[in-house]
Amino acid sequence: MDFGHLMAGLDFSTLPQQLVNGVLLGAIYALIALGYTMVYGVLRLINFAHGEVFMLGAYTALFTSWIFGFKGGAEMPEASLLKLGAMLLISMFVCGTIGVIIERLAYRPMRNQPRISVLITAIGVSLFLQYGGALFLPNSPPPSINEKVMPESLRGAAEINLTPPDAKLKADWEQKTAAAKVANDAYEAVHQTLKPGDPEPPELKPLRDQRNTTDREAQNAQRLLDNSGVRIRIPKGQFLMLGTTVALMVLLTLLVMGTPAGRAMRAVAHDFDSASLMGINVGQTITFTFLIGSMLAGAGAMMNATFIGTPLTTFYGFQPGVKAFVAAVLGGIGNIPGAVLGGLLMGIAETTVVWMGYSSHRDAVAFVILIVVLLFRPGGLLGSSKVEKV
Amino acid sequence: MRYWIVRLGSIAAAVLFAFIIERLAGGFDAFGQRLVVLAGLYVTLAVSLNLINGITGQFSIGHAAFYQVGAYTTGYMAMRFYDASPIKGEAWLICMMFVGALFASVAGFVVGLPSLRLRGDYLAIVTLGFGEILRIVVQNIETLGGAYGMNVTPKFQYIWLVWLLAFVTIAVSRNLLQAAHGLPFLAVREDEVASSAMGVNVTKTKLVAFLLGSAFAGAAGALLAHFEGFISPQMFDMNVSFIILTMVVLGGTGSITGSVLAAISLYYLPEKLRDLPPVSAASLIAGVLAVGLCVAFLKNVEMRYHGPKVKRAAIMVGGIIGAIVVQGVLARMLGNVSALADQSYEASKLRMVIFAGTLIILMLLRPQGVLAHYEFSWDGVKRMLGMKRKVATA
Repeated sequence: MDFGHLMAGLDFSTLPQQLVNGVLLGAIYALIALGYTMVYGVLRLINFAHGEVFMLGAYTALFTSWIFGFKGGAEMPEASLLKLGAMLLISMFVCGTIGVIIERLAYRPMRNQPRISVLITAIGVSLFLQYGGALFLPNSPPPSINEKVMPESLRGAAEINLTPPDAKLKADWEQKTAAAKVANDAYEAVHQTLKPGDPEPPELKPLRDQRNTTDREAQNAQRLLDNSGVRIRIPKGQFLMLGTTVALMVLLTLLVMGTPAGRAMRAVAHDFDSASLMGINVGQTITFTFLIGSMLAGAGAMMNATFIGTPLTTFYGFQPGVKAFVAAVLGGIGNIPGAVLGGLLMGIAETTVVWMGYSSHRDAVAFVILIVVLLFRPGGLLGSSKVEKV
Repeated sequence: MRYWIVRLGSIAAAVLFAFIIERLAGGFDAFGQRLVVLAGLYVTLAVSLNLINGITGQFSIGHAAFYQVGAYTTGYMAMRFYDASPIKGEAWLICMMFVGALFASVAGFVVGLPSLRLRGDYLAIVTLGFGEILRIVVQNIETLGGAYGMNVTPKFQYIWLVWLLAFVTIAVSRNLLQAAHGLPFLAVREDEVASSAMGVNVTKTKLVAFLLGSAFAGAAGALLAHFEGFISPQMFDMNVSFIILTMVVLGGTGSITGSVLAAISLYYLPEKLRDLPPVSAASLIAGVLAVGLCVAFLKNVEMRYHGPKVKRAAIMVGGIIGAIVVQGVLARMLGNVSALADQSYEASKLRMVIFAGTLIILMLLRPQGVLAHYEFSWDGVKRMLGMKRKVATA
């Protein structure tokens, strides 16, 4: 294969930016993957409905923003960090409740049944929430709650210059931008005097041509300038998102490693039957696992809907759900640091593939990585595969 | 000698039966015939997945991939070679079934290889991933029409061929289980390590299961491509795999009869639901509540009541009747609330919800599948009719 040709088409100046985007995307995957990994660790169940919990979390965030008055229209309330925090907590709370309800109604009666039957139940619950939700939830709500709820201080992006832009190109860009502004002003000065319906005066056409030419030149200069230096743009809101994600992960680790409930979870994950013999309330522990996992999905959903803002439908959770599951398997399912690592790797891999110009293959890359990793390390990256005994 | 007579007789019966289905379906309109054809294809798919999943115990949930390989190979072959080829019509289609089966079994071999190392859920996710990779790759190949799909030019509609394929699939699976060849498959399902210690070639068994299962799915894909005249990657997405898997599990993992019945009924259920009149929100809520109550009641009786069977059945029937009454009363009461009575839902939106609900409820009430390990057999029929005494089992 001719790699030289392949590399020639790549623009390395945008790579750092894509890596950062990958980490941001990966953080969301990691949050969802944590829920998968915890449930799988404790119950050995692929909870296909987890993606739907994520979807419901995004809807909760949308409805909460409506309650706060961000529904659109002329007078929108002032956005604040407090309201964002409230949205996050409400989303987490609602998702946690939904997760517990699903566990109680659908999974608990299935305990001790063949695993494939439980898996079918999970698929059933997932389909039920997707199509059942479509009956009641708005079908095409406003594309995102992105801009509305964002406080002024979080709008815009922070820029980090890795290498300074070329000075000569910068001077050229400044000069051409100024020329474009002059030409535009000259055009507007004549254009302003016209009333609607007036015939176009003959001197307007050369002015318009002049404006278009200088404008194009300025844009070219800007592109050259942009390509000359390597810089990273991060929307400020996403700093907040990353911070929250990291905080939640730290909290989760503290919870699992340092509290009695966490110890019970680890015990149940290690050995179901022995744990119950040692006086651990297995049912309660499983419910707790679902609660925590779903709350994390809720947090991820709220941040995804607010800071990234994809159109919301009831099928919103399916793709991220599947990818997060792949991330969990990739890191070693049942392993909390593994889920985070897997999520980050997935996010980075996806944006890298997009950067390489194969954006239509982005959904396949997750599975390719997964299969390759599983073939060489069947337990995932951080997991260990157990040897089965008769 | 007698053995061969029975064998030839069975083949003749299968062909005859396939033609009877064709004649019966001949009277239907185009839509009805389509239902008959697709039901036949789903029977093939479910039984062939049952071979991998139910009989050999390999947790494969990406069956649509093989279906897709079969469909796309045939579609491509028809596009390139049909005009120049000396064989036309049925002969072409039969050849294509073999070609589709061949290519699909190559794909099955590729998927089957990792299954030698992976087991359980890991294999499940790899097969799922394989299906998705294949779909996305096909979506990006211009020659195959990309995301827009591909026209398969000669359109054939041979209902008998579809059903013959279904019968062949059933016969192969069944004979595999009846003959000594099938025992290794069951042994691998029950315990891989133990069966390998007993001298079963686990690798070979798993691969054979994958090859056979995928070959039948590929043949079904070939028929689908020429029946529809149009294929697109969206026709083979994850949901199709899930539906096939559901048929297998719902019918009873490992039961061929169960897979057949579940395939037919699960294919017809959503189609029949299209004709449902619009349902008002009031009766929807009442229905959901009543079904929930009914399930909770049945589950509780099943778990807690250990008295005589007749009494237990009576309690269950009573509970179901009670749920129906509750549903009626609730629907009446809620019907007075104008907001709920005026809001109504189209059948087209409700059918997938009902499908999913049926899935959950059946799994809650009968996790081992409707027929569990039961198989249809003539001896069983004779026993039921009192023509043969029940053989005491050890």
